[in-house]
Amino acid sequence: MRKLLLIFIHSILWRTFLRRIIGVKFVNRHILKSYDQFIIIANHNSHLDSMAIMSSMPMQIVHKVHPIAAEDFFGDKSTKEFMMKNFINAVLIPRKKPEKPGDPDPLQIMSDLMNKGESIILFPEGTRGEPGVMQKFKAGIALMVQRYPDIPVIPVYLDGLHKSMPKGINLMLPSNSKLYIGDAISFRSLEKDVILEDALDAILSAHQE
Amino acid sequence: MNKLFPFFDLEGHLQMVVVVIFSILIFSSVMFAFWRKLKPGDLIDEMIVRLRSWWVICLIFIYAALSGPLATCIGLCILSFLALRELYTHMRLRRSDRIALLVCYLCIPFQYYFAYMGWYNLFMSFLPVFMFITVPFFLVLSGDTKDIVRSMGIMPSSLMLGIFGISHMAMLVCHPEMNEDPAVGKGLLLFLIFLTQINDVMQFTFGKIFGKHKILPTVSPNKTWEGFIGGLAGTSVVGYYMGFLTPLEEWWHLVLLSFSVALFGFIGDAIVSAIKRDFGVKDMGDAIPGHGGYLDRIDSLTTSASPFFHIVYLMLLV
Repeated sequence: MRKLLLIFIHSILWRTFLRRIIGVKFVNRHILKSYDQFIIIANHNSHLDSMAIMSSMPMQIVHKVHPIAAEDFFGDKSTKEFMMKNFINAVLIPRKKPEKPGDPDPLQIMSDLMNKGESIILFPEGTRGEPGVMQKFKAGIALMVQRYPDIPVIPVYLDGLHKSMPKGINLMLPSNSKLYIGDAISFRSLEKDVILEDALDAILSAHQE
Repeated sequence: MNKLFPFFDLEGHLQMVVVVIFSILIFSSVMFAFWRKLKPGDLIDEMIVRLRSWWVICLIFIYAALSGPLATCIGLCILSFLALRELYTHMRLRRSDRIALLVCYLCIPFQYYFAYMGWYNLFMSFLPVFMFITVPFFLVLSGDTKDIVRSMGIMPSSLMLGIFGISHMAMLVCHPEMNEDPAVGKGLLLFLIFLTQINDVMQFTFGKIFGKHKILPTVSPNKTWEGFIGGLAGTSVVGYYMGFLTPLEEWWHLVLLSFSVALFGFIGDAIVSAIKRDFGVKDMGDAIPGHGGYLDRIDSLTTSASPFFHIVYLMLLV
């Protein structure tokens, strides 16, 4: 039931709305069809970002893809949390490492998802930044790649979505934008700094395709 | 059947034009196919992409123009929306302009509703009178006065460019007095679109063959005096012979009308070129393969439609 709802919301409702009204163009969407499980990394400028990526997913796997969102920002109200979990399929994680035993560990939450065969969408910048400026990536993505080196990491570049819905404004307006999907990244090595550097390069070069 | 494909109901002269347009398309397609067989290359591939887009444009335009006022209004309404969206994508608007921007988008359905109902006065005054006051007021309400003059200028102007001009094409087929015989409006609309595109082609061809003196060197280096004058003359001649589409009887009415389509079409082309130059982009978008964005294709129509409507109005009804 939840699967059907998610397919309906994202693959039909949102995809049509984003393409026809808001003016999002999905570039190279076919790349996603060749994988069952993946980690998507993308730049983050707008609240629309995770919605746009979700609606670019192939219909068969949309219920198995989870955007990862910060718990303190989105999980503060119970209705908001309910919406995030059921309509966007998001998984909420704390921003920090666990300080005392018993606290939820963000990496463990993501690993559980991966072990179940599900996919995740990560915004390695951590928060929405200024348009056109990439912020330093958080280490989480590197740790995930080290744990799961066989899972393909797909870079996504979001271009111009902030014009439809800028940071801090909750009014969505039409404005042409593009979502570029790049080829899966092959990392040069599994060192943390190399992974972060490769990930950044891949997102930026997805833009050029 | 005839409701879905109104083509079979059309008056003879309209049917003939449609046949002519499709003959041109089929002829060029066959030519291009041979050309590619004989001499493959990038140029012909690009031309074929363009031609394919022309097929789609012609099919949609002819269907929308000839199948009745409702389809025309809905089609043009969507076109206005797409053009406006392209314009706002490149405009560097302020964060505080967003409510006014929403108002601008909401103007589109209203304007076309007035056109569909044939409410001439409201149609004419809605954007240039009421919205010219309302949009700046919404900008004022946002409370942010830094650079507000710029927004006050570009937002109402964008309404003129994206909605007002194009909506006159809808008014052509919806104006109650003009359409006592429904073939009149359709014929005029077809005449306008055909002439505007002919003008583009004429300017391009004359410019390529005879072009020496640049007319707007800083705005659009491809435009020449020779192309401009050739376009004016060529369009006037073609317009004279296409006169059977219009109810106009005097020959100088037809020539004057065609001349003004060419002149105002050129102006629209130049205005959109200048806007693109300011935005620092080559095309407004990439929606139509081989042509650029929607606004690149309809640039001449945005300014030629409203003068056309009013000149016809003066000639026919006053």
